Amino acid sequence: MSSSWAVLEKDLRLLWRHRTGWLSALTFATISVLTYSFAFDLVTAEVKPLLPGVLWVTFLFAGTIACSRSFADEVEQGTFDALLLAPVPRTALYVGKVLANCVALLAVEVAVMLLATILFNVPLLTPALVLSVAVGTVGYVSLTTLLSTLGAHVRAREVLLPVLSLPLLVPLLIAGVRSTSAALDMPNGDAPWTLLLVVFAIWSILGSALLFPLAVER
Amino acid sequence: MTTITRPTANSGGMLGSLGRLIAKLYEWHWYVLPPVVGIAMMAMIVGAVVVAPREAVEGQVQRLMYIHVPSAIAAYMAFGVVFVCSLMVLWKRDMRYDAVARGAATVGVLFTALMLATGALWGRPIWGTFWAWDARLTSSLLLFLLYAAYLLARSLADELDEQAARYSAVYAIVAYLDVPIIQMSVRWWRTLHPQPIVMRLPGDQQLPTSMLLVLYAGMIGILLLTTWLIVLRSETERIGARATALRATLDRAEGN
Repeated sequence: MSSSWAVLEKDLRLLWRHRTGWLSALTFATISVLTYSFAFDLVTAEVKPLLPGVLWVTFLFAGTIACSRSFADEVEQGTFDALLLAPVPRTALYVGKVLANCVALLAVEVAVMLLATILFNVPLLTPALVLSVAVGTVGYVSLTTLLSTLGAHVRAREVLLPVLSLPLLVPLLIAGVRSTSAALDMPNGDAPWTLLLVVFAIWSILGSALLFPLAVER
Repeated sequence: MTTITRPTANSGGMLGSLGRLIAKLYEWHWYVLPPVVGIAMMAMIVGAVVVAPREAVEGQVQRLMYIHVPSAIAAYMAFGVVFVCSLMVLWKRDMRYDAVARGAATVGVLFTALMLATGALWGRPIWGTFWAWDARLTSSLLLFLLYAAYLLARSLADELDEQAARYSAVYAIVAYLDVPIIQMSVRWWRTLHPQPIVMRLPGDQQLPTSMLLVLYAGMIGILLLTTWLIVLRSETERIGARATALRATLDRAEGN
């Protein structure tokens, strides 16, 4: 347990010292929301129905940017091999990275939701919405972090990660958009979308925690 | 025949003799599979074009069913092979399974593309549109994208890179396990495509017998074709990997 904590502490410190990853994700998310607001403003005055889609597409792309280099720096510096040699369960290495990425992305998402509240004049920081966004974040961050391990080994990883992760994340995208619509009092069908988000989050974190040690084994 | 089934001291019981039977059968695939696949495919084409009756409402275009439905089943079968072989890559650490997984993924993507293409051609006159965001269509398209991404990842990495093979195996497993969740989500999202009409109880059968027989012939034909293609692709991948390894050895030798 203390070793897992040490790993998490290491990852949070790395997150703070290595700000380029999540800062570029934040910059991208801001520009993305601004671009959407320019684009839709010309088309329709009623932007509220478009908001859930705008938010979730921005989150997923920002997540891809923030997670893509999760392990790349450690692999390049050679510290990843040292971590694998350390007497720490490998699942802990993964969980530490996922938690650090979650912290970074939740910060980005809160910033995006604040910005969208101002730009689209719709109050977004409600408990129901924050809950669905938080659960969704755990879902996509855990899967994208697992897939980013692959990136450290191939050429053209910046292109490869979204190509790999986005088809897998389609259920999460649909469920996220629908549950966000529900939180904004819009018609969303009668399926239990938040439950699907929870199921996806549990599935992806359990599956990834089981598969990560197998993937990095030498 | 007796030499295959006869138990010997080091056979390891039932499983060992079964394994040797499979190995023996595999040795013969080059002689057995091509003619059998050829005959089955000819039977399928003749059945679909000549034997099967014209559908009363949809007309001739309905004959696409005899290739559309078997392609879907073949794709699922190929992806099942990818899943099993990916598990074996992680478990046994044997790159031969990786070659089979890559071969099966290529064949699966091919048949998914065939299914989507025939579905679009069939949908145009019947539904009035090539494409609709229906649950089944969406999940098939996602299946295509998932395994196309797998092939892309696999082709970007070095084919001898065992680490990349392990990562790709992890991706293939995650992708396969994601399929039920995708199907559930898109079913809730939109649901035009007819429900399955083949896999039903005998008393509840909706297709007339002549059509059903041709469809079964098509399934057998396409399943055999799938097997043959997977075997060919896997062997190609394996020979390709060996050639790369040899070239690397040669380069090292010349460097010294």
